[in-house]
Amino acid sequence: MMDLTQPQWVRHTVLHPFEGFEDLRWKKGGTLKYTVIIIAALFFSLIANDRWCGFQFRPLPDALFSVVPYLMRSVVYFLAWVVGNWAVCTLLDGEGTMKNICIYSSYALIPYIISTFINVILSHILVREEMVFFAAVYYIGLIWSGLLLFSAVKAVHQYTVTKTVMAVLLTLFAMLVILFLAVLLLSLFQKVYVFFYTLYTEILYRIRV
Amino acid sequence: MKQHISFLRRQCAAVLCSLAAAASVLTLTASADEPYDVYNYNRLGEAVPSHAGYVAERSVSGTDLGTGAFSSPQDLFRSADDCFYIADTGNSRIVKTDGDLTAVLQIYDSFTLPDGTRTRLKNPRGVFVSPDTGRMYIADTENNRALICEPDGTVCMEITKPDSPVYDRDLTFLPQKILCDSAGNIYIVLSNTTKGAAMFSAEGEFIGYYGANAVARTAKVIADHFWNLIASDEGRRHSNRAAPTAFDNFDIDSEKGFIYTSTSSGASDTDIVKKVNPEGYNLFGYLSDHKWGDLFSAWYSGTTYKTRIVDLDIGEDGSINCLDQTTGRVFQYDKEANLLFILGGTGDQLGTFSSGGNVTAVETKGAGCEEICVLDAGKGAVTVFTQTDFGQTVHTATDLYNRGYYEEALEPWQTVLRQDGNYRRACLGISSAYYNMGRYRDAMKYAKRADASWVYNRAFGRYRSEWLRAHLNGILAGCVLLLAAWIVLKQYRKKKHNRQKGGAAA
Repeated sequence: MMDLTQPQWVRHTVLHPFEGFEDLRWKKGGTLKYTVIIIAALFFSLIANDRWCGFQFRPLPDALFSVVPYLMRSVVYFLAWVVGNWAVCTLLDGEGTMKNICIYSSYALIPYIISTFINVILSHILVREEMVFFAAVYYIGLIWSGLLLFSAVKAVHQYTVTKTVMAVLLTLFAMLVILFLAVLLLSLFQKVYVFFYTLYTEILYRIRV
Repeated sequence: MKQHISFLRRQCAAVLCSLAAAASVLTLTASADEPYDVYNYNRLGEAVPSHAGYVAERSVSGTDLGTGAFSSPQDLFRSADDCFYIADTGNSRIVKTDGDLTAVLQIYDSFTLPDGTRTRLKNPRGVFVSPDTGRMYIADTENNRALICEPDGTVCMEITKPDSPVYDRDLTFLPQKILCDSAGNIYIVLSNTTKGAAMFSAEGEFIGYYGANAVARTAKVIADHFWNLIASDEGRRHSNRAAPTAFDNFDIDSEKGFIYTSTSSGASDTDIVKKVNPEGYNLFGYLSDHKWGDLFSAWYSGTTYKTRIVDLDIGEDGSINCLDQTTGRVFQYDKEANLLFILGGTGDQLGTFSSGGNVTAVETKGAGCEEICVLDAGKGAVTVFTQTDFGQTVHTATDLYNRGYYEEALEPWQTVLRQDGNYRRACLGISSAYYNMGRYRDAMKYAKRADASWVYNRAFGRYRSEWLRAHLNGILAGCVLLLAAWIVLKQYRKKKHNRQKGGAAA
């Protein structure tokens, strides 16, 4: 019973929002390899959404393209979610390991990625006045993924519904804290770099004079 | 390598727009022989090299005219009968020349008052000639009056400080610029009030103020407003009053009756250029955050250099020519406020002006703005710029386009694009023309080139419906085929499944 291959597990969890992740946990399915692929797909879907969409929807000119915001919105946010969720749920008697949180959360993102790619294709067919179709696909993907993510958290930590809600809210807060600290750290490193660089130029100047 | 550099520059521009743009203005190489950089702004607000729409032809000083050197001339005016009037402020006189600035027709330094006495001017800073009556309006600044006189030098009216409760008693009457509308109403820019121009009836009666700028909506103004809502009357009396910047120059489009004002104060970015209707309503209100002049300020040696529009002139074709005091540049816009050309600069050669805010007035000549004249108070000379072929083509195309003759504008726009591939409005014009002609593919192509997704969207919508109509049969046939294939496949799978099941049971 339920002897599925890895691709079948992906399909099963995505198509069974309420039981899929429980089954996955029970049979110890899922693999980190797919997490990497899914996050890469998320990254490319975000880029495709802005760069490959029909010209009538092009949000920003080619010259202003930068890869950093897309990395931020895919990889960094995902890592912050995983770390934040792990940190919070360890304190809240969650049963999930870091690895499992990674796997379950990434599987939950698939509908959103697919909806984004569908939108990219649609954007070559639709005009701006028909944006409502766009929004429909987007929100279906978003709500589906949200539901999956909720169910993933619930399954991986074996929580009740109320506890899951609390865990998700706390995780979002933890993500904010993590990102804030990251920005702080970055600016600190930059200051240290500037300090040493100033020192270096000052010494150079003294040697010359 | 070159591409690499330009890519890097674009990246920089995205991050540090202001600095990069200021730097790139400085590093541009002029495409022609102009002693200044000829550039235009692209859609991203970057300065890109461009073709010159105007070239400096000659410079006319007071000595050239034989009147003696001008001393700090503050205003230049071209009348409807094609004569130039120069307010030679330092010499307290008005010099009238012919339309080519070659011969002096008359020098006004004293006038006959209605009672027969003579009166002299003292540092007049503004002059205007009514196109209807031919009367001369002079802002006689240091005499604290404005004179309205006949062309022969007899004064028909003298306007002094109004005795009205609306006019602040302590305020000195210092007329800077003056003009009149077709009804004979007189508008005077005063240097010491932010309430707008003082407006007088044709009989010289003070009516009120006209066309004041709006207060810029800064965070501080909003915060003050909020505190005033909850403050006591006493507190309110002591709170800050938000005052707008005052406009200090204007021009009238006599045919249509609109008055255009310009503000040179750098304190605010709103209402730098206004188009005011006779009711005092600003028709450029939707442009209140439009950047006039250079898009970015430059900082060096602790000073900010930003555009200060000191004068503007409305050409006969409706173009708005703004003179920037800081850089000595003229920014020419079409009547929809789209930038056409940038000309001039600071320096010592022909076509450039003395630095330090010495340019004072700009005037245009000709039905298509064939000439632009700039008055430089520092050099005491008028520089005449004439239109190039390129400039003429752009003007023709812009005029046709703005009047809605998109198809007629196609050819001039194509000429423009051939000569300057960076000229974005040419792409837009061509796209609109092809759209009107029903050539949607081409319209899409040029909209893409102009990076205008709204225009592309419109053309694409039409192209799509045309395509659908042409291929409807094929699409329907394809759908039917797909449906059939799906049903067949389903049947086949079912059979195969049953067979396997049967096999397992056996």
